[in-house]
Amino acid sequence: MDQTLSPAPILELRGISKHYRSRGRSGRGGGQDVVALDQISLDFRPAEIFGLVGESGSGKTTCGRLIVGLEKADQGEMVLQGRSYGTLKGQALRDYRRQVQIIFQDPYQSLNPQISILDSVAEPLVTNRIGDGKSRLEKVLATLKAVGLAPPEDYAYRFPHQLSGGQRQRVAIARAMILGPKVLVADEPTSMLDASYSAQIFDILLEVRQRLDTTIILITHSLAAARYLCDRIAVIYRGHLMEVGPAETIISNPRHPYTQALIDATPKFGDCASLPRYGTLVSPERPASGAAGCAFFRRCGLAHLARCARQAPELRPLTPGHLVACHYSEESPDPETGATCRLGGMS
Amino acid sequence: MALLEVHNLSIAYRTKRGLLQAVDNVSFSLEQGRSLGLVGESGCGKTTIGMALMGLLPRNGRVTGGGITLAGRDLLALTRQQWRELRWREIAMIFQAAMNALNPVQRVGEQIAEAILTHNPQMPRAQALSQVEGLYQLVGLPLERLRDYPHQYSGGMKQRAVIAMALACNPKVIVADEPTTALDVIVQDQILQETKSLQKEFNIGIIFISHDISIVAEVCHHIGIMYAGQMVETGSVAEVFSQARHPYTRALLGSFPALGGARRRLSPIAGEPPRLIGQLPGCRFCARCPVSGHSCKLEPPQWRQFSDSHFVLCDHCE
Amino acid sequence: MTTNSEPITTAAAPPRRSPWRDRLAENWHIFSRNPLGLAGLILLSIFAAMALLSFVPPMIDPMYHPMTGVDPLVLHSVGPSARHWLGTDFMGRDILSQLLAGTRVAFMVGVSAAFMSIVLGVSIGMVAGYAGGIVDTLLMRLAEIIMVLPTLLVVLMLSALFGKLDIWTIVLLIALFRWPGVSRVIRAQTLSLKSRPFIDAARVAGASHTRIVFRHIMPNVLPLAFLYMTFRVTAAIIIEAALAFLGFGDPSTVSWGMMLQWVWKTGHMFQAPYWLFPPGLCISLLTLSFYLLGRAMDEVLDPRLREENGTV
Repeated sequence: MDQTLSPAPILELRGISKHYRSRGRSGRGGGQDVVALDQISLDFRPAEIFGLVGESGSGKTTCGRLIVGLEKADQGEMVLQGRSYGTLKGQALRDYRRQVQIIFQDPYQSLNPQISILDSVAEPLVTNRIGDGKSRLEKVLATLKAVGLAPPEDYAYRFPHQLSGGQRQRVAIARAMILGPKVLVADEPTSMLDASYSAQIFDILLEVRQRLDTTIILITHSLAAARYLCDRIAVIYRGHLMEVGPAETIISNPRHPYTQALIDATPKFGDCASLPRYGTLVSPERPASGAAGCAFFRRCGLAHLARCARQAPELRPLTPGHLVACHYSEESPDPETGATCRLGGMS
Repeated sequence: MALLEVHNLSIAYRTKRGLLQAVDNVSFSLEQGRSLGLVGESGCGKTTIGMALMGLLPRNGRVTGGGITLAGRDLLALTRQQWRELRWREIAMIFQAAMNALNPVQRVGEQIAEAILTHNPQMPRAQALSQVEGLYQLVGLPLERLRDYPHQYSGGMKQRAVIAMALACNPKVIVADEPTTALDVIVQDQILQETKSLQKEFNIGIIFISHDISIVAEVCHHIGIMYAGQMVETGSVAEVFSQARHPYTRALLGSFPALGGARRRLSPIAGEPPRLIGQLPGCRFCARCPVSGHSCKLEPPQWRQFSDSHFVLCDHCE
Repeated sequence: MTTNSEPITTAAAPPRRSPWRDRLAENWHIFSRNPLGLAGLILLSIFAAMALLSFVPPMIDPMYHPMTGVDPLVLHSVGPSARHWLGTDFMGRDILSQLLAGTRVAFMVGVSAAFMSIVLGVSIGMVAGYAGGIVDTLLMRLAEIIMVLPTLLVVLMLSALFGKLDIWTIVLLIALFRWPGVSRVIRAQTLSLKSRPFIDAARVAGASHTRIVFRHIMPNVLPLAFLYMTFRVTAAIIIEAALAFLGFGDPSTVSWGMMLQWVWKTGHMFQAPYWLFPPGLCISLLTLSFYLLGRAMDEVLDPRLREENGTV
């Protein structure tokens, strides 16, 4: 895949920021703003699978909710196919929202327990006034079949509690895909599922991309899952982008100490059980650096007090298409002897 | 003689729809200072085994066959009173939901001291508290957090506190049921390393229950793969990972995305596990199995041995 | 792609069978194991039969009409006999047929007042919970104001102001005063539902607020609403009986409270136990049966009992 020649993005985030006002517990003084996202700029290309990787509290879920319009950004702009989200109203806004759909983490929570599978999947058609009863039914059955629920008649008339977690997540995908969106946000779609189911879900996502040219934004905590599915990855930490680049590059040649720490921490088995560690974390954590410094300063083993505590590094390209937000990205330790395993997937 | 021995254990639940055979003829043993990972998907019976090991089966659950011995003692014959003496002292558990295992209205340090005092009534309180300080240092919790309440702890700290509590009475065996499921990768990694080093230091036997095969690979010496209430493959970590024989084990390994190596296609396991109610003749994996033959459907598979420690419950694996 | 054509083997419920029936069967299973609930149900069916039978006596003979039928042979209250199984009142009206008619009135008052208060309470609760902010604050303050007003006293004052109230006005007043409790519960439920991902999913699907409230939230609060309805029925019956007994009932209906008032006003309180006890007992038993039913339904709706037995 040629990463340098980037086609026009289908969706762009330009300087998106989001703060939450924490309601400060009594006795702990006034509420303090929690930064969910800080000046996030990303572009998503047509038909790519983009991984947004981070731990809980990193802002990755907030980012997904912003994209589908469940939250509003405090600052910044979202542009879908050249049109800014903020300026849309009425029908145009509805059209935008049709183009951007989401599947949620917990398939036990994301389907209404009182509504049949048929009605759940048909809901987007009903609310957007598309088709009549008969054509909707046909569309639902076809979509259910496309996500591997065959024969679809067996599932359409059931209720969520009669399905397994994997089947429910397929239903959720069917509901998100029935309008044929341009962008699909998948928010940890497999973290509540067993391994055999999650591999099924991964395959369905790959197929959706292949068949419909949908851009999929995969929000995940797992670098391994991101490596398997994604073309490009962004690593996010406490609302700040740490590293953005092609998936294989990020995994095999991570340049940000946080990405390296994530790779260290991912359980390994089989071929890479004996990978060397980067060891970029400090323990215990340092005291906070104040607002101006690097977001990762407190846990970073490479940080220099003079620079990292005072000045937040900018996200800048290391090589074309590989962006790193670290003052010392050029000096980060290279993968050591175990490089064969890491680099194995590069070819 | 192994420290913990489980032989032909069967456990059933009474349900509205009939008797649910949650665990069927499962055998394994655990030596002092070793760890065994029980891996399988939800519903495979791994948590039920953990509960049975602790004598904590829910009311509608019953051991229908087989036995459990801990250091030569038959655990199934214990009275409630005997269980109370044995539990936590000989065999402790790290629960799945560490968040809920702590009492929200009691300081964490005191809760652990309480646990020690319950099992050593004659110990002076001050001694128990100093023991808790020792435990905090062991699991890497700062001592100044002793007097905090659980809600002031982060997820990882709670998990460490629960581990400290499990270690409080120097048990011989710890049953860890998905101890890191709710944690972020970095914290999970720290906890796993911690667990490994504690185990070495105190020579504890650990039963590590998880749905995540990669976690078990990090921590355990031996692995038992479970499917639909049965153990289907058991062996050392190296054997199971590099020479997996059972089609289910292979499928499971094939459905985990890896961080290294060639970016190969995952092979999802099609279909759903069977319901465990009623008669299940033949191999339980049969319906989803890529190599099953005619006989698989009708006759139960036999155990086959591949090395001293490597056993597989399948008639068609080579 | 293999997942597309893979046959999915499921031993789950057979297709096309109405899941409502499954659910109903499951609910009935839990309910039927509750002896108190069953007792309530049996009692309730007896009363329902009585209400239906209330149409029979006037058809046999006009003298059995509960309000206007007077036995020409009886001049004062007499005890049970073959002609009047439960005796007659001071005018010679048949007590049994009055009792039966009273059952009908009690059902009518109880169920319609409860139904109206539930409709009000559910709508207001859902709107308040879903809208939040100022709407929520205003509606809930209103609910609190009404909740602290003593219903009986206010209705008494109103009837003193406007003269005798007819039975439907009484029903309406009970409904107007009895929604706040329900609305608070439904609001709380709505608040928890509102943050569930399936509501987010409905928003992303493009559903309007009205649609979210009535299509996605309402089905989830209805079971709770029905539960509260059984308790509200009890309250409505007692309020109506109290009003009638105190002399503020609808004089053109025969209710149990009315019967008690007649006993008391004509000084038969201690002379005619055959007249005093039937309506008194009926009030207690009917409210009890609704209460028992509610308790049993409470248990049916308890998610802890609903869980699949045996998490493995």
